[in-house]
Amino acid sequence: MSIITISRGSYSMGKTVAEEVAQKLNYEVISREVLLDACNRFNVPAIKLKSAIHDAPGILERYRHSKQSYIAYIRSTLVERVVGGNVVYHGLAGHLLLKGLPNVLKVRITADLEKRISIVVERDKISPVEAGKLILDDDKQRQKWTHSLYGEDPRDTSLYDLSICIDKLSIEDAVDFICQAAGAKGVQPTEKSKQKVKDMAVACRVKADLVDEFPNIAVTCEYGNVLIYTKSKDPTTGKLSRQLNKIRENISGINHLETHGGIEFPSDAV
Amino acid sequence: MPIIIISADVREIEESIAQKVADEMGYNLMNRRILADIAAKHQIDPGRLNEIMGTTPSLFKKMSARQWRRNLACVEAEVLDHLLAGNIVCQGLAAHLYVTGISHVMNVRILSGNSRCIKDIVEKKGLSLQKAEKCRAAELQHRKKWSLAAYVCDETDLSRYDLVINLDQIDPVEAVKTITGAAEYRKFQVMTYSMKCLADLALAAKVNAKLLDSMPSIKVQARDGSVVVITKALNRQKRKKIATIKELASTVDGVSYVEVHVKNNILAS
Repeated sequence: MSIITISRGSYSMGKTVAEEVAQKLNYEVISREVLLDACNRFNVPAIKLKSAIHDAPGILERYRHSKQSYIAYIRSTLVERVVGGNVVYHGLAGHLLLKGLPNVLKVRITADLEKRISIVVERDKISPVEAGKLILDDDKQRQKWTHSLYGEDPRDTSLYDLSICIDKLSIEDAVDFICQAAGAKGVQPTEKSKQKVKDMAVACRVKADLVDEFPNIAVTCEYGNVLIYTKSKDPTTGKLSRQLNKIRENISGINHLETHGGIEFPSDAV
Repeated sequence: MPIIIISADVREIEESIAQKVADEMGYNLMNRRILADIAAKHQIDPGRLNEIMGTTPSLFKKMSARQWRRNLACVEAEVLDHLLAGNIVCQGLAAHLYVTGISHVMNVRILSGNSRCIKDIVEKKGLSLQKAEKCRAAELQHRKKWSLAAYVCDETDLSRYDLVINLDQIDPVEAVKTITGAAEYRKFQVMTYSMKCLADLALAAKVNAKLLDSMPSIKVQARDGSVVVITKALNRQKRKKIATIKELASTVDGVSYVEVHVKNNILAS
């Protein structure tokens, strides 16, 4: 019942590794289809979601908060997909979108730039210089995205449980390591961790439903008891109350819903 | 006979994992104990040598940048010389920053996990959670600064390592099992070419340490006993400098030919 996220730079063979891990452990493998799910569920064009998860926010987007909304939609969809466990996710930013969930094995696959360039040259029939530029631009975009939305650097070792350089080790070796690590005690789910994943799914869903109109809110959920934190001291405005009534009706798994205003957001809130 | 270099964000964890890997594989463990021998060989104060492994040059500590670099170069040269023997687990000597491009060297990074570290600091130092977090961040920043100052590379950069294991969720016993398992892989086995690369690296480091005794700012490359030294000098001092470098470098065992490239030192002129 483990959840494995495999993060990688573009053309680092991470997709192949993820697919082989999933096959070996008999897990479901998910990737960009999460974006399609999110498009259907929240009625947003796929191109916007794709850009939200790939490109760093521009100056105007920082004020419009649209990217935040799209990320909330993707996160909610992804967390709901992994609730059942036994999943390998190798789409973008899995280690960040599933941050805070227990028993998630976060893996990073790295590869030498030259090797990545040779893959692109062979695949796209372009010159090595163009291929290098393409890869470096993509890496830069990833870095900017992660930094602007999560304040982290994707190259930071501490974000992952296991990081494997695919240059010296083969794909099979990497798959072996990941499967071995997936059996580690710390990654095995417990009743408490399963409940936490369910709670996180509820919190993410509530946030996704509210983020459009209330971008500056944070949500936590514990055993179905949802707490919504707002920056304003009086959170019981008419607009928010009406939305909360809708949420109570539409989202299952909520026992109790409460709002808190003017206090610091908890660190584990979504 | 691969070489395993283990580094970690917490010294105690690094020592314990390295010892376990060495025991498990029947390899020799090379750690800071060799600093005493290096100090004796190069006539450096042993305390000072220990100190430079964790501090940057500072006027307050009466250590100039030149002295600091020279001492680091001595450690690097001796460590590389020892590594030639193979079957070694190396820890605590910053080898992960300068032993690069050798296929039979496995570079492993162990992360002790932020939450566990902060908890340890709270327990050991009796600090509040917030202060412990700050203390940990400062410690990591200090290590990063040191690696950048000493070898112009960031030790937190993932791409430097073959394997990075975070102990937040993975048990140390499993980490040891993973490292020993990986060391068995074909790609980490010693090859004639990889041994030659390591020997070249060791020779370059020896020449570097020798030359840093008398001149700052040099770059050394070696290949099959031929050594190329790149340095800067004023035009009028070029000849003298080339002669000095050739004389000094040729005294190092294993050097058969020395080539010196001198760039014009515009700043000094």
